[in-house]
Amino acid sequence: MSLEPKQMPVQYILGEWDFQGLSLKMAPPVFIPRPETEELVEWVLEEVAQRPHAVGAQGGPLILEVGCGSGAISLSLLSQLPQSQVIAVDKGEAAICLTRENAQRLQLQDRIRIVPLDVTSEGSWAHLLPWGPMDLVVSNPPYVFHQDMEQLAPEILSYEDPAALDGGEKGMDIITHILALAPWLLKDSGSIFLEVDLRHPELIVCWLQSRPDLSLDLVAVRKDFYGRSRFLHIRRSGPQHGCPADALPGPQPARVPG
Amino acid sequence: MRSHLLLSVARCLWTPRAIGLARRQRSGSAQLEELFARGGPLRTYLERQAGSESHLQVRGSELVAVAKLLSEKEQELLDTEHLLHDENEDLRKLAENEITSCQKEIAQLKHQIILLLVPSEETDENDLILEVTAGVGGQEAMLFTAEMFDMYQQYAAFKRWHFETLEYFPSEIGGLRHASASIGGSETYKHMKFEGGVHRVQRVPKTEKQGRIHTSTMTVAILPQPTEINLVINPKDLRIDTKRASGAGGQHVNTTDSAVRIVHLPTGVVSECQQERSQLKNREMAMKKLRAKLYSMHLEEETSKRYSARKIQIGTKGRSEKIRTYNFPQNRVTDHRINKSLYDLETFMQGEYLLDELVQSLKDYADYESLVEIISRKL
Repeated sequence: MSLEPKQMPVQYILGEWDFQGLSLKMAPPVFIPRPETEELVEWVLEEVAQRPHAVGAQGGPLILEVGCGSGAISLSLLSQLPQSQVIAVDKGEAAICLTRENAQRLQLQDRIRIVPLDVTSEGSWAHLLPWGPMDLVVSNPPYVFHQDMEQLAPEILSYEDPAALDGGEKGMDIITHILALAPWLLKDSGSIFLEVDLRHPELIVCWLQSRPDLSLDLVAVRKDFYGRSRFLHIRRSGPQHGCPADALPGPQPARVPG
Repeated sequence: MRSHLLLSVARCLWTPRAIGLARRQRSGSAQLEELFARGGPLRTYLERQAGSESHLQVRGSELVAVAKLLSEKEQELLDTEHLLHDENEDLRKLAENEITSCQKEIAQLKHQIILLLVPSEETDENDLILEVTAGVGGQEAMLFTAEMFDMYQQYAAFKRWHFETLEYFPSEIGGLRHASASIGGSETYKHMKFEGGVHRVQRVPKTEKQGRIHTSTMTVAILPQPTEINLVINPKDLRIDTKRASGAGGQHVNTTDSAVRIVHLPTGVVSECQQERSQLKNREMAMKKLRAKLYSMHLEEETSKRYSARKIQIGTKGRSEKIRTYNFPQNRVTDHRINKSLYDLETFMQGEYLLDELVQSLKDYADYESLVEIISRKL
């Protein structure tokens, strides 16, 4: 049974949509920001306000976004944190282009580096090392359980990039890769903010317990506006690892991806 | 001889030009002036205040001091008055100058007395929410509603207030069914509170083919916006409804319907907003409106007794009162509460000096009613 051509999502028809007060260009197949994700940005902003970051040469905080899509999260953080810098990565070419375009539209291109990168591929983290350890990692990673993919609305399946949605068997594939980046890319006491499926908080707690080498603790779970457990704040409590060639005391992971 | 002098002094005081007040204060202050008449209830009240000094608070003693100063200045005026008829021209000129400056001071002292006596409302400093709704008259009523909304938007700019449209529901031919806006700035509620009520327009509608004059109406509601302290809402008392309620949400769903509906469970008051694309913004706006509605209900209880006898009604009581008529063929706007008409309707609708003048007259009349109440209360 073939899919009938369905109504294109309104955001693609209009070619633009709002997010956190910004007007962003939208283009298929780049993932359309969901309203819940605005709350992820709100939470990050609240936390940043409460914990003034050690100001480096360029001010702060330094933020890594994994899976930037249209650039919604990165650009809204940049526009509300004037001292911040962002490194935004995505494995989709279209997403990289669209984020670049939106950054230009909003005149934020000077504070964002947009890097084509697949965090699930071996050793990918190495490309990010030159930019130094991050204060924050933020992500709305693909978190749909693979078995749920076919139940998504036709307009989503026909027009949005499935790679932006499909998180594998338990919707955890990309999430676990991001968490495993922590020793290499996140400062001591640095934070990871994630948007997830409502079944993930429990699964992630278990997974973190199996990976003490990462020195990550779940600090808080926040419900979205519809009462679903949607956002996680995970903090690192250990020294940041250097390059594998360095001899560092203490436990080191056997392999990078978990 | 003495009564003749009194009369001429009185006449001088009541002549707008001689008072020397700013142009905008002149109109509508006639009743206030009458209150200050010698031997009148206000004078009696002030004399009694002076007599019972031991019971006064700080403000009261300031009132007594100003009242005393007023009496002294008025006496000074009387004494200088007879010099106006002196043979010496220089003396006459001197007297004229003295009298003018004396009258200015007298006016200022009276103004001060009014400020000290008339209680300021809890809400005078608050921001507000303006709601306009088309009433009777179909398309014509909606066209008029659009013009009124524009007028208030321009008035806000004129007064250097912040104006943010919260909702806007237009009609097919460029009219307006309903709209609301948040207005903030210095003394916004103090000025705008008199606009609440039914406004009536009389003219030949654009849609009318036979050139007949129609009467249509629109309603203005002014809701003071509570500050954080004025009104505290427990988040547990709220139920927030949105379109994304069912299913897993998040990445699983894409919908552009960001409409938000907030229900305040204890009172059943509902507030909705679907104006913005951002659900976050709609939520903020719906909360703003909810707070204003709840606050206005709270204020109702407090002020309904106090305002019941007045001509100028504020709050829900005033909402169904026909307060003003805009007659285009006669180029006239008439406020029925103070029975004041202004001409040049087109200029009035630009929402600048003319509207401000009317607002000032209403404010003066409201002060007058307040004063009358205060004086008669103590008797």
